[in-house]
Amino acid sequence: MQAVSRLPLGRGLLGRHARLGALAVLAVLPAVLSAQPRPTRPAGLRLYAIEGVRIVTVSGSVVEDGAVVVEDGLIARAGANVETPPGAWVLDGAGKTVYPGLVDAFTTLGHGGEPSARAGFGGGGAGGPPNQEERNHSWGPDDRPGTSSWLTAADDIDGGDDRFEQWRNAGFTTVVSTLHAGLIAGQAAVLNLGSFDRPREMVVATPVAMRINVQDRSRTYTGYPGSSMGVLAYLKQFYYDAMHYRDVWAEYEADPSGKRRPEWDISLEPVRMQFAEGWPVLFPAGSRSDVGRAIRTTREMGVAPIVYGAQGAYAAADLLAANGIPALVDLDWPEPPRDGDPDAEPALEQLRLYDRAPTTPGALAAAGVKFAFYSGGLDGPGEVLPAVRRAVAQGLSEEEAVRALTLSAAEIFGVDDRLGSIEEGKIANLILVRGSLLDEGARPEAVFVDGELFEVDAAEEEDGDDETEEAAGGGPEDEEPGAEAEAETGTEEDSRPGPRRRGRMGRRPAGPDPATPPVPMSADKGPYRDDPATLIRNATVLTASRGTLANTDVLLRDGKIARVGAGLDAPRDAVVVDATGKYVTPGIIDAHSHMAATSINEGSVNVSSMVTIEDVIRPEDLGMYRALAGGVTTINILHGSANPVGGGNAVIKLRWGADADDLLIGAHKGIKFALGENTKRDRNPDRYPATRMGVQDVIRQAFLEAREYMEEWDAYEESGSRGVAPRRDLKLEALAEILTGERWVHSHSYRADEILQLLRLAEEFGFRVRTLQHVLEGYKVADEIAAHGAGASTFSDWWAYKVEAYDAIPHNAALMTERGVLVSINSDSGEEIRHLNQEAAKAMKWGGLDEEQALRLVTLNPAIQFGIDDRTGSIDEGKDADVTIWEGHPLSMFGKAVQTYVDGKLYFDIDMDRERQAAVRTEKKALLEKHTEAN
Amino acid sequence: MQAIRKCGPAAVALVLALGMAAPAAGQTYAIQGGTVHTLAGRAFVGTVVISEGRIVAVGENVEPPAGAEVVDATGKHVYPGMFDAVSGLGLTEIGAVDVTNDSREQGNFNPHLQAATAIHPASEHIPVARANGITLTMAAPQGGDGSIAGQASLVGLDGWTVEEMWVEPGAAMVIRYPSLGGGGGFRGRRFGPPRSWRQQQERYEEAVERLDEWMDAGRRYDQAAKAGVDMPRDLKNEAMAKVVGGEMPVLLGADGERNIRNAVEWAERQEIRFVITGGREAWKIAEWLAEHDVQIILSPTQTMPSGLDEAYDEAYANPGKLHAAGVKIAFATFNSSASRTLPYEAAQAVPYGLPHEAALEAVTKNAAEMLGLGDRIGTIEEGKLANIMITDGDPLEIQTQVTDLFILGRGVSLDNKHKSLYEKYRGRPGRRIVS
Repeated sequence: MQAVSRLPLGRGLLGRHARLGALAVLAVLPAVLSAQPRPTRPAGLRLYAIEGVRIVTVSGSVVEDGAVVVEDGLIARAGANVETPPGAWVLDGAGKTVYPGLVDAFTTLGHGGEPSARAGFGGGGAGGPPNQEERNHSWGPDDRPGTSSWLTAADDIDGGDDRFEQWRNAGFTTVVSTLHAGLIAGQAAVLNLGSFDRPREMVVATPVAMRINVQDRSRTYTGYPGSSMGVLAYLKQFYYDAMHYRDVWAEYEADPSGKRRPEWDISLEPVRMQFAEGWPVLFPAGSRSDVGRAIRTTREMGVAPIVYGAQGAYAAADLLAANGIPALVDLDWPEPPRDGDPDAEPALEQLRLYDRAPTTPGALAAAGVKFAFYSGGLDGPGEVLPAVRRAVAQGLSEEEAVRALTLSAAEIFGVDDRLGSIEEGKIANLILVRGSLLDEGARPEAVFVDGELFEVDAAEEEDGDDETEEAAGGGPEDEEPGAEAEAETGTEEDSRPGPRRRGRMGRRPAGPDPATPPVPMSADKGPYRDDPATLIRNATVLTASRGTLANTDVLLRDGKIARVGAGLDAPRDAVVVDATGKYVTPGIIDAHSHMAATSINEGSVNVSSMVTIEDVIRPEDLGMYRALAGGVTTINILHGSANPVGGGNAVIKLRWGADADDLLIGAHKGIKFALGENTKRDRNPDRYPATRMGVQDVIRQAFLEAREYMEEWDAYEESGSRGVAPRRDLKLEALAEILTGERWVHSHSYRADEILQLLRLAEEFGFRVRTLQHVLEGYKVADEIAAHGAGASTFSDWWAYKVEAYDAIPHNAALMTERGVLVSINSDSGEEIRHLNQEAAKAMKWGGLDEEQALRLVTLNPAIQFGIDDRTGSIDEGKDADVTIWEGHPLSMFGKAVQTYVDGKLYFDIDMDRERQAAVRTEKKALLEKHTEAN
Repeated sequence: MQAIRKCGPAAVALVLALGMAAPAAGQTYAIQGGTVHTLAGRAFVGTVVISEGRIVAVGENVEPPAGAEVVDATGKHVYPGMFDAVSGLGLTEIGAVDVTNDSREQGNFNPHLQAATAIHPASEHIPVARANGITLTMAAPQGGDGSIAGQASLVGLDGWTVEEMWVEPGAAMVIRYPSLGGGGGFRGRRFGPPRSWRQQQERYEEAVERLDEWMDAGRRYDQAAKAGVDMPRDLKNEAMAKVVGGEMPVLLGADGERNIRNAVEWAERQEIRFVITGGREAWKIAEWLAEHDVQIILSPTQTMPSGLDEAYDEAYANPGKLHAAGVKIAFATFNSSASRTLPYEAAQAVPYGLPHEAALEAVTKNAAEMLGLGDRIGTIEEGKLANIMITDGDPLEIQTQVTDLFILGRGVSLDNKHKSLYEKYRGRPGRRIVS
């Protein structure tokens, strides 16, 4: 069992041994004490002093030889020339250092459950099988899925939680405790780990933050939100609701007389308090793009974030610093699985995280980001200091490390006025350590919480270590597969130093030497070149707008196409690219893609217009680079087709390496609709609709509701916007935008009949469908589509994968074009996008389009469909320099992209790609050697 | 015959009508004036004569026999018809509708099942594939990891009944070699209970043992049968006997580098005739495969790289690297509705290193040779089955049109569901609404 002796430092005992080394004496006591009744509270050591001790105050400078006087649980005096007051009991601190008590900045202590160890955006919201009771199924934000905002970690603390004692033994005097279940999980509290027999006395401050999860790992609900974008939409809606609630109550309370009393809402009430008091939300963010999402989302929520997880924040320190956002860093540094497939190669991104996560604290410190640590997925608090030491070995100063463990955490949660440093007047949360806290093997010998002394029993602690080691260390079962693996891969036995086989805390084999500097990162992202001007010389230019120009030069300057013509003079600062024998086209535009997003479908509900892909863009997706290599410069990322009304789209340029916000190009807002089989198929639980009649009905009902919503807002605005504005509803707002023309509908469709019905429904509501996506039977109603004014975006030659695709013909694009429809060809696939030029050429074979008509299918036409044709889609002066150079004719099977420019920057170059590949391989090899073979 | 000389669409329709009306084997055609790419030697402008289902004469100065129907191919190109080495043609109609799918039987040991049994000669997919020059395919049953799914059937893509279509109903045994590794993890994300390396190995070894047992049983059965032992007939062992005896080649599915290596070593131990199918990461061990004389029917070139950090063009460059190392390759779509894209799977490899001629061979004759059918199909040579396409250009190019097609000696129609829908709706008059 755990190893603390609670020492009643009673007068009788210490009185006889005044001025002796108190700890030396106390150390022999446990055996005696264990026979005694468990003390409820140290009896009355009101005043004492730790003398002759080194003091790391954290807030000020280190005192090499001083004293700390504790009176009534508070620090009365601390410093170099502090006199021990008369009557004080004295502890000899010679050879020791006193620190502020450590703070574990994100736990579930007292409440069970796991803190989210690997915070970040995985994909889904509600996970796992639908094993919940029907009553936990959520059909929308009004069901308040995963919401327990009214619960506080200060309430209902389980005093019997073993972890309290474990944590205190490891030097933690304070933890931030959170509730873990759901999405809006509840209020966090700061707890002191003193007399947890009376939990109320533990609470230092509450509430200090609202914990948010973006995945409901405890599966408190099924249904909506079922995706990462759904979760973000829900969080926003919930906080908008809270703002409205706040305003409604404020208006009422200002003058209740004659007003109907607003309804009290248990879930919104705490947020009203949060707004008033200004406490932040704990928001998960593992990577740079997660941090970006946290910033955007919390900005809309009207609250400040503290991000947790943050292991990949080494790449986001600038973002956090610029936005003044603090971070809680999970100390459970990621490592490769120990008994996995020896031939399996983790992806570069993953390897880099293994390598660089421990550099995050150093990077945050250097950038001036306030950060603290938490034990996260570590096996126990005893692993905290070794993990911190790894961060120190990777560039974090010891001083910053100690600060992160103490004062920074207090500051982040607004309790630095009472704890976190050794200062007069603060709570006497202290730890006494022989030597220095971050020395190898260092651990606290005594822990003081609220002035109460708890001694850590050295002997028992050691035993604990050994047990763990035996239990989890390399037994024969664990070693054998490793040995076989070596035989197979031919790894030299000698390359595995013996001592490393012994696990850190017996948990895993040790990784690389913690001080080894990180493997240099190759430049795997970003443009290859960014020149002020590029002159592409003597190419065959397929303009897509005005035919093909032979022997023509194209000058790119400052991100734009500056000149197109024969024999242009090369400006002095221009890089000249000889394109003799090569072809130039506008960058390819894919009108229908599902890459570069953390989720695609919010299919839990039949109308999910509150969600948008823009919230979940994933700029790390390698698919973007691969598409660049196929000559693509712009893509339209669409919501999936699981429901009649899907979510918002995102039109992005493939600026590989840029942040999500910098990919968006301000295309006309859009939304995905869907008809037919995907929307009506069987679901569990049943979801309306199950027929094409129902699909149409869902859409019509949604617009009727949106009209009412608009009327409500119009009435409010017409009355001079007095009083409380109507509740903002993200779902209806998006639908209303369709009715006002601010948002265009891009509808998944197959059959001619459903296409026609949607067109008529749109006409009923006074808008035009912007594009029909897939539209495989569009050729049957091409006249109707043209008359309505909808565009069409289809596949070149896919068919027969389902009933509604059985009448698809490869002549569709050509036939619709012939009938006056504005047509594009899209990929809907990570592979097809890499040769959309060929897909366009198929419309020449099947249906006889000419070269320019075919090229327009994947350039100018989709640009028009998304309202970006003033900027891109053709080789015309003044447009963005989105240009692809091809070797071989681009409408031939043998043409291949050799250079792709986005905004005049060279993002793909077939030769430089080889160099990049080589650099990535070199980096990967070094990372693999360092992180997997050493294990 | 005048119409045929003109050789427009109407002529093709007439060819079809004649082909279907008369006993197919009796027809004689003389294809004249085109550039003949025999794929058995240099190209030349000349004549190909087809009779009784076979090529009876090929040459620059061949006179059409009396009574032959002359097909004027002047200015055009004459090639062997394309061979989609593995497909699902005839075995599936609508992917998402289970009841239209006949490619995957229950269980993992079905060596006695034959694709030809279930090939639907009226499938709309067949004329669609045909219109782009696909004349032959091995329609193959499918199975899961470590399964023996059944026998692929070599068929010509024309016939009123499957009997008129088939060339070899038991052309090859389809075995999916068990993969080692995987399970419990996908791209770093867990979706099932994680398996340790040891568990993965155990599963793999069990699967291999199962395969070995099936092979051994076939061997014992074969020996007993040859020794004249009186025993009940066992259809599965009977089929396996053909495999272990080397009579029937195996289409041995393997994609990953380790998977391919293990599969090849297993097949060598078993001393069977085999062709690897899939081969996505084969380039990684191209030299080794060449040393072992391994042949591969590649899955589509237009596919994503095998791993996150692989080069963007890994799959595009795979065929060229294999060819350069001396590994014999063929292409297949492993699909039904996409069978017509076969030439593009080959063409995609050309700008990434595969010589054009090699690409062409890999969609015509290579697979035939791999399966031991090189004496019957694959090239334009006297005595071979007459599978011939006439094109207006390079058959690997998208814009090229196939103008005439001969399958098993029959001139066949290039009409199909797509073309007729196109023509029907192209002819749709303006909207007519009665009010």
